[in-house]
Amino acid sequence: MTRSLSALSLSAIAATVLLVAAPAFAAPAFAAPAFAAPAPTAITLNVDTAAHTGKVMVVLFDSEAAYAGGAAPVAHAMIDVAAGQTQATFTGLPEGDYAAKMFHDVDGDGKMNTNPFGMPTEPYAFSNNAHGNMGPATWAQAHFTASGPVTQTINLR
Amino acid sequence: MTPSRRSFLMGAAALSAAVATPEMVRAAAALDVAADWALVTRDLEGDVAPQTLSLIQGRAPAGLEGSLFRNGPAKFRRPGGSSTHWFDGDGLMRRFDIRDGQAGLTARFADTPKRRTETALDAVVTPGFGTSGDARARLGSNDDASAANTAVMVAGDKVWALWEAGSPLAMDPATLATEEFVVLRPDLKAMPFQAHPRYAPDGTIWNVGTNGGRMVVWHMAADGGLIDAQVVTLPRASYLHDFTATDRHLVIVLQPWVFDHGGMPFSSQFAWKPEMGTQVLVLDKADLTRTHLYDLPTFSFFHLGDGWADRDGTIRFDVAAGKDVSFAMDGARVLVDGRGVVPGHPAALSLVTLYTDGRAEMVSSGVTAEFPKANPLFAGSQRSLTAHTTGETSGRPLPTGLAIHDWSTGRSDAFEFGVGHVVEETVFVPKPGAVSERDAWLVGPTVNLRSGKTELHVFDAGRVSEGPMVSWSADLALPAGFHGAWKA
Repeated sequence: MTRSLSALSLSAIAATVLLVAAPAFAAPAFAAPAFAAPAPTAITLNVDTAAHTGKVMVVLFDSEAAYAGGAAPVAHAMIDVAAGQTQATFTGLPEGDYAAKMFHDVDGDGKMNTNPFGMPTEPYAFSNNAHGNMGPATWAQAHFTASGPVTQTINLR
Repeated sequence: MTPSRRSFLMGAAALSAAVATPEMVRAAAALDVAADWALVTRDLEGDVAPQTLSLIQGRAPAGLEGSLFRNGPAKFRRPGGSSTHWFDGDGLMRRFDIRDGQAGLTARFADTPKRRTETALDAVVTPGFGTSGDARARLGSNDDASAANTAVMVAGDKVWALWEAGSPLAMDPATLATEEFVVLRPDLKAMPFQAHPRYAPDGTIWNVGTNGGRMVVWHMAADGGLIDAQVVTLPRASYLHDFTATDRHLVIVLQPWVFDHGGMPFSSQFAWKPEMGTQVLVLDKADLTRTHLYDLPTFSFFHLGDGWADRDGTIRFDVAAGKDVSFAMDGARVLVDGRGVVPGHPAALSLVTLYTDGRAEMVSSGVTAEFPKANPLFAGSQRSLTAHTTGETSGRPLPTGLAIHDWSTGRSDAFEFGVGHVVEETVFVPKPGAVSERDAWLVGPTVNLRSGKTELHVFDAGRVSEGPMVSWSADLALPAGFHGAWKA
């Protein structure tokens, strides 16, 4: 029933995060030119959580098609909030457009929990702190260009 | 048939809902000047600082001490886009205090995510009951769409602003500062909690929340702490604003306004199918799988009165029964327009009886009625009296009077303020040491359209027709509220 968030859309976030088995994508080495080289691309996501238990599960996509569920994420990370971690950094990536989806597995059960009517009960977020409209944020809202180091602080309260 | 401009100007009131399509009514409305009742949906631009009300007439009865909390929408219009429906304005929590013979008023807006987003944008962007909203809305959960504007529940040392599609919002009863959305249990975050919790004789509280064909049943202790929550499936995905209960049953009235397709605004999801009739689902409080389903003639409704069950299990309750959903769909939009003829037919107070052999009966009192309220000492128990607003007419469905209907005698004890007032829901406040239903006062506000101010009135429940014992005036008109709760 459409008064609640689309349960399917949001469980898709969880499913994407949890089905990731592939290791982080290994980029080819760049030849260093004679003049000053650009800084290597690195994406750092700092998370601001309300609870200090469990882990934040993050997946990173490098294309709109992949973000929409058409391909595996290019990288993933687990931020161990309970152990005091607050950050995930992705390195060895080519310059380009990326978007991240994440949720805070507060109770550590490995799932993004929902209420009986399909509404998430654990915090979730997207890069750019993008907000969806009763569904996930779109690639258009969540993507950013990474060329050199990029840092974002994501609200996961 | 397309009415001519002349017929609009000469007899807008004659355009009954039978011939007036929404488009024609809005066209007619555009030709009219601002209605005399426009204050009902005025905007307040901020909180109302505490003020003492000035005495108009009479004297407060000795022994009447306490606070009437009320909730209702108080901000509809913004430069970048407006709420287009009465049910979608930002909630303003009001508190009328009666102490030592004097009355005071404080009112503060519920500080919701919706209000913060829309204040920053200076545009209404959130979808609602009748408002479409747009892509600028920030909606991560139902609570992000909450206007927190419909009702109030006293819960321990807090008051909860109730909406219907999401969580209650806790507020401080003294300062009316907004606190947090209430999480009754972590796995039930953002589940719907509707606007009419029912108080049982054992002191516990029941409520429901619906989502299509499923309903969560909440059972709480007197302070709002959760005892249990269960999800049940309904025989039809009706829109229901209210439910009722006896001491041992939950009573779910299922009107033929049923879920048809997704989308926003919320009310557009439902289709009115009168051929389906109205059904009533009764659930046993002790075992929600024990149910009975009854069939009644078709009616629409927003509000029900407290139910009661005989020893043999016969269940009775009353309802402000309507003909269709034209007020919900169109009338409540025209109220925000502030001009024109308001579509909708007034509801009539009717008594429903559900027999244990499966028969169901419905008898109309013939009395125009809305906002039915019973004496809280008799909630869920055998009772006869229902207080209600009255005086609504087609074309002007705004109450002008107050009455108590006595089901044991069929008599109505009524007082008419006249078209200069819009009368709001009025609650029973039992007198100290009360033993009978009539040992009570009735306390409630009106919007005085002539003075342009909100008034507070106290009646003796045994002598409503004699008029208010005491009336006070605020120094401003609050837009009309919906529902409230008395806290002694």
